[in-house]
Amino acid sequence: MLLPLKMKHISKFTFSILLVLLSFLSSAQEKNITQKDTIKKDSMAPKKERYGLRVGVDLFKLTRSFYEKDYRGLELVGDYRLTRRHYLAAEIGNENKTVDDDRVNFTTKGTYIKAGFDYNAYQNWGNMENMIYVGMRYGVSSFSQTLNSYKIYNPYPYFGEATEISSGEKFNGLSAQWIEVVAGVKAQVFNNFYVGFSFRINRLMSQKKPDTFDNLYIPGFNRTYNGNFGVGFNYTVSYFLPLYKQTVKAKKTEKKK
Amino acid sequence: MKRIFTLLLLTLLFSGCEKDDICTEDTTPRLVLEFYDISNPANLKNVVNLKVKGEGALPNVDLGTFNAESKIKLPLNPTTNSVKYSLILNSTSPSANEDFLEFNYATQTVYVSRACGYKTIYQLNAVDGVVQTNAAIPDVSWMKNITIQTNAITTENETHIKIYF
Repeated sequence: MLLPLKMKHISKFTFSILLVLLSFLSSAQEKNITQKDTIKKDSMAPKKERYGLRVGVDLFKLTRSFYEKDYRGLELVGDYRLTRRHYLAAEIGNENKTVDDDRVNFTTKGTYIKAGFDYNAYQNWGNMENMIYVGMRYGVSSFSQTLNSYKIYNPYPYFGEATEISSGEKFNGLSAQWIEVVAGVKAQVFNNFYVGFSFRINRLMSQKKPDTFDNLYIPGFNRTYNGNFGVGFNYTVSYFLPLYKQTVKAKKTEKKK
Repeated sequence: MKRIFTLLLLTLLFSGCEKDDICTEDTTPRLVLEFYDISNPANLKNVVNLKVKGEGALPNVDLGTFNAESKIKLPLNPTTNSVKYSLILNSTSPSANEDFLEFNYATQTVYVSRACGYKTIYQLNAVDGVVQTNAAIPDVSWMKNITIQTNAITTENETHIKIYF
């Protein structure tokens, strides 16, 4: 029991650091607005920004695998800076989760990939390379489900209460596709290392269900509700591999001259 | 950005509150019997003090006595393929008349939802779906005619068996 508790504390600690960072970001943004005019007037050296690939791992899934007995999961994340504000982004992961509900107990195993883009809405100040972003993903998951046990719902148990029936029936070759809307933050904590978190709202587009069961959990999509909506969250640590630098375009001022 | 975040948070909150943990769907159905007048088969006829008891039922559960009703619902047993009911008409008077009905069926398990789990639906046997027998001390059966309306017992919204007396 000690280890999981420690883990929780660690993630709590890092999370609060992140929150503090976030508040710095927003205050920095305000400063930026007031300083814009002075920057324009000054003849500063052209600003260079770094472009490259950022790869990382979802700590939320990783730590959860340690403290939650019924969960194993790993998610790798990556993004590539295309333009000043646009990033190609993707997540790839694997999950193994056993859900114990009142009436059904099942295990879902599978792999997923999500690809899309992020748009950095944050105006960085100086040489900062932080992100407050919104984005979209298209997710695809391939998985199997094992129905471990179930109960029959009988509102009139005149001849005896329903008992749990163990099944073990496995449904293979299931799949699902969905769209995610992402909003998140990435902050550089020290040289080339970033921490970030993101919230996701998912909408299921299509799925292949088992004949005699339902996709109550989809790897990557998470728990499904009665509608087609789902929610997600990740908390990442990533490393930035700089590939090249590009000068921030000063085209507008050149034309004026 | 702030607006987007608020929206996201709100959506998160509401999606967490979705009530799909309470079973509201139709689940395992009971057998629906409807009583008709034998002398005027198009008309419903109310039963009088009809006492109903299933063999092998839990001792602490009582289906009770039906009075001034023309439709009754009887639970079947999802774990067996046969259930026998005793139906006593005029159970409170000395002229009480007991008849037995045995229902023979096949069961099928069907998935409903996360909250309900699975349900059982029944299929009455084509040959011996309903078998009527008389009381231990034979008298005149009060049920004159029994017809199966549908062999598939999937919902309580329809009549499965019509009994004429």
